[in-house]
Amino acid sequence: MATSKTSNFESLIEQALESITDRWQGKPRFGIVLGTGAGIVADSIEAQATLPYGSIANFPVSTATGHKGNLVCGTLGGFEVVAMQGRFHLYEGYDVDAATLPIHVMKAMGVEVLFVSNAAGGLNPKMVSGDVMLIESHVDFMNRTSRHMTSPPQVGRTSLRSDCAYDRELMQTAMQVSRKDGFALHQGVYAAMLGPNYETRAEYRFLRRMGVDVAGMSTVPEVTVASMHGMRVVAMSIVTNVAKPDVLEETSGEEVIEAAQIAAPKLKSIVSGVMASC
Amino acid sequence: MLDLYDKIQEAVGVIRQQYSATPHAGIILGTGLGPLAEKIAVEASIDYGDIPHFPKSTALSHKGRLVCGKLAGLDVVAMEGRTHMYEGYPLKEATLPIRGMKALGANLLVCSNAVGGLNPYYRKGDIMVIEDQINLMGDNPLIGINDDRLGPRFPDMCEPYSQQLVDRALSIARAEDIVAHKGVLVAVAGPNLETRAEYRMLRTMGADVVGMSTIPEVIVAVHSSMRVVGFSVVTDLCFPDALEPADPHEIVKIANEAEPSLSKLITKVLEMEKA
Repeated sequence: MATSKTSNFESLIEQALESITDRWQGKPRFGIVLGTGAGIVADSIEAQATLPYGSIANFPVSTATGHKGNLVCGTLGGFEVVAMQGRFHLYEGYDVDAATLPIHVMKAMGVEVLFVSNAAGGLNPKMVSGDVMLIESHVDFMNRTSRHMTSPPQVGRTSLRSDCAYDRELMQTAMQVSRKDGFALHQGVYAAMLGPNYETRAEYRFLRRMGVDVAGMSTVPEVTVASMHGMRVVAMSIVTNVAKPDVLEETSGEEVIEAAQIAAPKLKSIVSGVMASC
Repeated sequence: MLDLYDKIQEAVGVIRQQYSATPHAGIILGTGLGPLAEKIAVEASIDYGDIPHFPKSTALSHKGRLVCGKLAGLDVVAMEGRTHMYEGYPLKEATLPIRGMKALGANLLVCSNAVGGLNPYYRKGDIMVIEDQINLMGDNPLIGINDDRLGPRFPDMCEPYSQQLVDRALSIARAEDIVAHKGVLVAVAGPNLETRAEYRMLRTMGADVVGMSTIPEVIVAVHSSMRVVGFSVVTDLCFPDALEPADPHEIVKIANEAEPSLSKLITKVLEMEKA
């Protein structure tokens, strides 16, 4: 597994890249990271190579429920794409460098636009289960970082702020897509929590007070790396359940996956719509 | 994380050489609350150092042994002294004794800690029955590959502290004329105490008291599907606009003074478990 202790992080990226390009020689402009339940978006990709993470040098192996663990390389709507079917979470025990290695590799493959999806618990009472929210900004409560996640200004990087990666223009396109296809698309703030336990009622109340709309356990490390590399990001949260801190209700992993499946077609149409506009 | 299961079995194996009962409850005695252990009809008292994989406590007024016996007629195992994140223990190690309690058969965790009061209605020596918690430690004992033998990947936290036991504890406190509040505990990593600005922030977040322990143990207890009841003793007041230096010896003194009330509460809660 890739760790920050390894002396040459660049060579870990190169080795991973090589073990991909040995089997697929595409030049994707688009990268996709598929979170819980959104794995079926990968089914609409005309795959030219489906590479299990275990077969890619230095890639960790995903352990989360509902995550498959393949790098799907092929075309979507005529565009070359590389998609992560399953991602790496910090609660699984990976450090941030291991969890974000695929994003560095996507950059090395030529990816300029990154789509990221996740399953998140809704805190904003206007949302309902199965809704999708475009991430407009985030709050990082993960307390994990690495020197490979920040760097001096480099080509393509327009701001040191990690949330500037959420591309305003692409977000507007996504909003148009939602109106055209007739589904609700929210914009809001994502809070990244370490997990793996779900939040307590007191934690939900505090996050809501902080200005958070949804809370999840992923995405921010990937977006931070994508931002460092100057990628344009469209990040989407599937609202799996709306937490009502004043009414006790249990959250189950199955319920989360079920809500995510309702939202998956919406993700699919946003991804194809935004890609067509680029 | 998959080696955790074997470590628990090894620890329990050693405890079982000296103690054969099935405890109803596990008890964590926090700062200054050790004397409750003296009320236990002891069947075995084992130093943490003699139990494989048990962390050794280095904190002020914490002894570091597992006391097994009867309290209020119930079989209990009590941790006299706990370890903290600020001592440098990974949370997985610091919480291993809770897993041990569960493996011995305990399905109830009773925990106590010394905290700073943020709620301006609280006074030194008051007891707060913990109703809910906010984890601001920046870490979590469940990180790593989940061992399904120990609990679910994503534990639900909608009721980490049993509401039934919160209500019972409060009604016992009223009957015994003990000042007891119901509130929210926030835990930080420490070891420095918070700044005035941090106290203001924590209060704004909705916390009533702040401490440096308990939350990792409670997360593990919930993961292990144990019922939990928790008590915080307010040992210093963290009112940002009238802040006084915190004296560690005074903190221990106030905890000691509150100990009889807390012991009474815990004992009576346990008595009701028998019914």
